[in-house]
Amino acid sequence: MFKYWDLVKHLTLREIRARYKQSFLGLFWVILNPFFQMLILSFVFSNIMRFPDLGVPYPVFLYAGLLPWIYFNTALGASTDVLINNSPLIKKIYFPREILVLSSLLAKTFDFFLSSILFIALLLFFKVTFTWYMLMFIPIFMIQFIFTYGLGLLLSSLNLFYRDVQFLFNLILTMWFYLTPVLYATEFFPQEYRWIFKINPMSVFINAYRQVLLGGNMPNWGSLFIGAAISVFLFTASYMLFKRLEGAFADVA
Amino acid sequence: MSEKQVITFKSVDKFFYLHHQKTLKEFVQAMFMRQKTLEHVKALEDVSFSIAPGESVGIIGRNGAGKSTLLKLIAGVSQPSKGQVVVEGRVSPLIELGAGFHPELTGRENVFLNGVIMGLHEDYIKEKFDEIVAFSEIHDYIDTPVKYYSSGMYMRLAFSVAVHVDPQVLLIDEIFSVGDAGFQSKCMKKMNDFKKKGVTIIFISHSTPQVQAFCDRVLYLQDGKLTFDGPTEEGIALYLKQL
Repeated sequence: MFKYWDLVKHLTLREIRARYKQSFLGLFWVILNPFFQMLILSFVFSNIMRFPDLGVPYPVFLYAGLLPWIYFNTALGASTDVLINNSPLIKKIYFPREILVLSSLLAKTFDFFLSSILFIALLLFFKVTFTWYMLMFIPIFMIQFIFTYGLGLLLSSLNLFYRDVQFLFNLILTMWFYLTPVLYATEFFPQEYRWIFKINPMSVFINAYRQVLLGGNMPNWGSLFIGAAISVFLFTASYMLFKRLEGAFADVA
Repeated sequence: MSEKQVITFKSVDKFFYLHHQKTLKEFVQAMFMRQKTLEHVKALEDVSFSIAPGESVGIIGRNGAGKSTLLKLIAGVSQPSKGQVVVEGRVSPLIELGAGFHPELTGRENVFLNGVIMGLHEDYIKEKFDEIVAFSEIHDYIDTPVKYYSSGMYMRLAFSVAVHVDPQVLLIDEIFSVGDAGFQSKCMKKMNDFKKKGVTIIFISHSTPQVQAFCDRVLYLQDGKLTFDGPTEEGIALYLKQL
């Protein structure tokens, strides 16, 4: 893998550079897009439909869940297409194909950190107390990264064989969004359905982010452990499948 | 054959499954209609040969004879369905010009991108950068996005990166239509330098004069079968007779 570090770096740079060159505002879209989504949703959910007290202002609460979700969503969208978009390369030259998925993921990770700048501004604006617990954000993100990478490997390879995968998964993503506490807090969900959040890693991650960033607390270790276990399992299984299918990529791309 | 071979094919078969249906909907329909869902296509059949270090071998044959499939197997991007393919040494495909290039990126950025895709290290590209640009004759446009390049410039740049790879086995697929006559002869000269250095070269072309000028030996493929393996003159004569 280290042998291919330069390749990973330049493929990632390609994604990032290509995007900001195409538009006038360039990288600012990466920051502005989630911010405006947050503004719209905040307006709806703090003026039209009100949630009971969350302990923190709704915009901050929402943003802490929205940013990781947008990252998840865009990263999977990009990695689902990445093998198809790079079919001329796949047909001509060999390098481990997971590098393509990894690079598209890293480009979106760059976006995620860039758009988090406004989140920090928001924390300052609403005078949220900064604590050391916030640093726990890094390991949580790493687990989310493994989860997303695993799912990305799975989707990208299957999509190369059947394009239905991307359409089907878009549907699933819409449903998944509402079953993840992005807009709301888990406590507002009926008790008998809350087990969904335990087996949904995205919900585990978002709850954990909120605990460490806004709650001034440690994450729920039990849930995080389940989330991490699912992520590692998914990644391992997807990677093995990906490597098995890899030999046939050039034949179908 | 005591000498170590660079490339060895042992009774290699390559099948493709032609999916007649691209989507699940079409697939399900076809299942109900009892249509064929998969078709077995034989791209290569029982192909055996070996190539020694430093040989220049041309691969000739009509469209669909299996030339590109053969190259894919050598490049390691595709796996044989049956038989064995052994390749020793670093294989550098002179990839279809522009694969991996991004139109929005500048010439400079694309040189690095293309270089690392071909397996070069960033430091090595930095070192060779001026040489690559000089060879391509792009000069002042190197910091312009390649989407503004003429098709000739585009290909020249891609080709320049490719020839600076320092390959052990070079795969060339129909790309000598690059640029004007001047640039073409420069490319031919570079190829001859490689040949002198002992680089093994596999060359696919429809241009028989180029194959004749360049290769000592040809493999002639017909419908996936290797029908001739021998001196260039003889192979080309056979090919031209059967056209």
